[in-house]
Amino acid sequence: MNRLAEKMTVIGAWVCGLALLGAVAVLLGYLVMKGAGSLDSALLFGDVRPADALLLRRQVFDGIFPAVAGTLVLVLISVSLAVPAGIAAGIYLAEYCPARTRRIFGHFYDILAATPSIVIGFFGFSVTIFLHRTLAPRLYPCLMVSALSLAFLVLPYLIRTTQMALEGIPAGLRRTAPALGATRWQNVSRVLLPRALTGIVSGTILAIGRCAEDTAVIMLTGVVASAGLPRSLWAGYEALPFYIYTVSSQYADARELANGYGAAIIVLILCTVLFSLSFLIRSRLARRAAGRALP
Amino acid sequence: MNRTPPQTERPKITVEHLSFFYGGFRVLDDISTSFGEHRITAIVGPSGKGKSTLLTVFNRLWEDIPGVRMSGRVRIRFGDRWEDIYAPSCDLPALRRRVGMVFQTPNPLPMSIAKNVAFPLRLAGRRKPGEIARRVENALRAAFLWEEVKDRLDADATQLSGGQQQRLCIARALVLEPEVLLLDEPTSSLDTAAAGVIENLLIHLKRRCTILMVSHYLDQVHRVADRITELADGRLVERAA
Amino acid sequence: MRAEWIIESLLRAAALASASVSVLIFAFMAYLGYPLVEKGQLGNLFTRPWLPDQGLYGIYPMIVGTLWIASLALLFGFPLSLGYAALIQLTTDRKNAFSRFLRKVAEIMTGIPTVVYGFVGIFLLVPFIRRWLGGGSGMCILSAALLLAVVISPTMILFFTDSFARVPREHLRAVDALGGRPAQKLLYVVLPRSLRGIGCGLVLAFGRAMGDTLIALMVAGNAVAVPGSVSDSARTLTAHIALVTAADFDSLEFRTLFACGLVLYFMTTLTVTTVGVLGRRGEARRP
Repeated sequence: MNRLAEKMTVIGAWVCGLALLGAVAVLLGYLVMKGAGSLDSALLFGDVRPADALLLRRQVFDGIFPAVAGTLVLVLISVSLAVPAGIAAGIYLAEYCPARTRRIFGHFYDILAATPSIVIGFFGFSVTIFLHRTLAPRLYPCLMVSALSLAFLVLPYLIRTTQMALEGIPAGLRRTAPALGATRWQNVSRVLLPRALTGIVSGTILAIGRCAEDTAVIMLTGVVASAGLPRSLWAGYEALPFYIYTVSSQYADARELANGYGAAIIVLILCTVLFSLSFLIRSRLARRAAGRALP
Repeated sequence: MNRTPPQTERPKITVEHLSFFYGGFRVLDDISTSFGEHRITAIVGPSGKGKSTLLTVFNRLWEDIPGVRMSGRVRIRFGDRWEDIYAPSCDLPALRRRVGMVFQTPNPLPMSIAKNVAFPLRLAGRRKPGEIARRVENALRAAFLWEEVKDRLDADATQLSGGQQQRLCIARALVLEPEVLLLDEPTSSLDTAAAGVIENLLIHLKRRCTILMVSHYLDQVHRVADRITELADGRLVERAA
Repeated sequence: MRAEWIIESLLRAAALASASVSVLIFAFMAYLGYPLVEKGQLGNLFTRPWLPDQGLYGIYPMIVGTLWIASLALLFGFPLSLGYAALIQLTTDRKNAFSRFLRKVAEIMTGIPTVVYGFVGIFLLVPFIRRWLGGGSGMCILSAALLLAVVISPTMILFFTDSFARVPREHLRAVDALGGRPAQKLLYVVLPRSLRGIGCGLVLAFGRAMGDTLIALMVAGNAVAVPGSVSDSARTLTAHIALVTAADFDSLEFRTLFACGLVLYFMTTLTVTTVGVLGRRGEARRP
């Protein structure tokens, strides 16, 4: 055996692994170094007293409070649009549909999952413009359009996690209720879904993370640089990732740039926490499934 | 000791020209027979040759398995009416409520003891708490489990011992008062003592229902069964009970 | 039974509606982009430069820019990711904690928003590249590709480690029993048996690299000229869509965006189908 090739492999692996770790550490370290100082209540509310801002007594102009609120509302709407549809489709795929149909549907979901988010955003944008021209002259890109487009973006994740969580249930548990006279839906709703719940929750958390971080979809479908707090489903709104993007290209002063760093740290923490949580739940589930598989 | 002369028995289930295919493999080959009411029929034979499959023919549980095909006619007499259980008019959940099944490994659902036994009643749409409590108690008594669990009905069912879990599953199958009970190697995951309790229980249950059971253990089969039939090469061959 | 039927219909409707979204996206863009074909612009579209003053709306520069950036990102990202995944594999035996740490970091990396990478890239990487190249804005193909390599690597790493993990344990134990070192296990058993998985991960990562908007938009400079070298500024198809200013269905400029969308959609479908075919064949071969 070639001793040199083995040595090179080991060295190469260490170099590559440490280089990538280093790159990520530098990127995040730089962000924290530059932005940690701006993490205070002024970052959120600017010169306005927090209580006044939260009670909507005064508008916040130089803090990121409107963007935080916008992201929260956006995530809430799009996830509540996508979750019921995604879970329903996942149940259909895992429990009702014949194998052939499952493959065909699965292919469409995979395509949707891989479609660049800017394409989905552009789809939302052009449909809105199209409707504006033809049926609904008062419709413009707005919070609702963004939420719907984001729902399309996360739909395949929800479907797939639901499907996989259901299909991972052992055959023994799966046929318990039917043997006792359960109809298919009784089996799904009373036995299988409760069992698959953790998996579905992990998919939902992932969807929340995706909605919170996505910039490409919303930048075409209604997010604006300064709209204040979200007021209506049919109006523009602010969002954290878009705020970061605008600051990076057109910051007016050092204060705004510092706010950009602060906002980036907040989004970073939010998303990494959500993603790790989702991974943690999934690895727990996998370990539980593996434990069961042993005799 | 439990033998009854075969000529006096009244058929409960009849099977005509039953064939069963798993992929391209013929598991059951043109079987025609009948099973007597209030009898324990044991199906023996080498493992992996379709004994469990034969059981699921009577509650149509095999239909969820992909790549499986069946031909032939299976009828069960409920009261005085013979029903073709594969007729399009047959109500599947209703069939499975009248033909109970207990599996090789106990499969209590992740809920309390009482809820496990009450589960089939809830599936069937029974809601009166008094009626449910009464029937749960009856079923647990019938499964020889009542005395052991009556003080902890709200405890998690998965905490019970293996033998208790299996009797819980039998109670759960009995709560709907099924006329036929299918048992797929009900004692193979239990120790001898626990298995003995269940054998005893089965002999008692004969009065309530018709029992078809699959088992490896010939001595057990000889203790319990009225009729022993061996499944070999897709055919049933009668053996002395 | 009627309730059962209603529920099944509802579930089927949800599945159908979800599946139809991807068809709908394609159909809508094809419908709105079709006039380009009618006007005989199709050839110009894919071969000509983007010169609105002269009435030329070719997306050739964007296609070139996309391919440059995505390929370079893969060129940087692939060895890094494969090495990282190999390191996870190499350290599983003895330094299990380190191996788990590496995997955890890769998982966390998938959660880092692209806009955050872009933001740091502008203020850290771009000035660095500018100094290194000794001029220009620093917003160029090289910056975008380097950053994008980091963005797409966790996808590849997790895909690679998953396909490493699918190598049967008996094979690994056989090498252990023969006194094989971890590096030998990796080189002679794990890697050869994971080639298909590595291929799938590569295709998937290329799809992700082409589909990414923010990195190119923020650090590649967005020039519409055909790039000549890696130090040139370039615009990707995704960034071109993101920079949409017109919303006039009658203008050629707006119509070409649908062509960009369709190209991206087509590439996506191609990668998904490739991965699907590769993956399925891999499964079929496994007994």
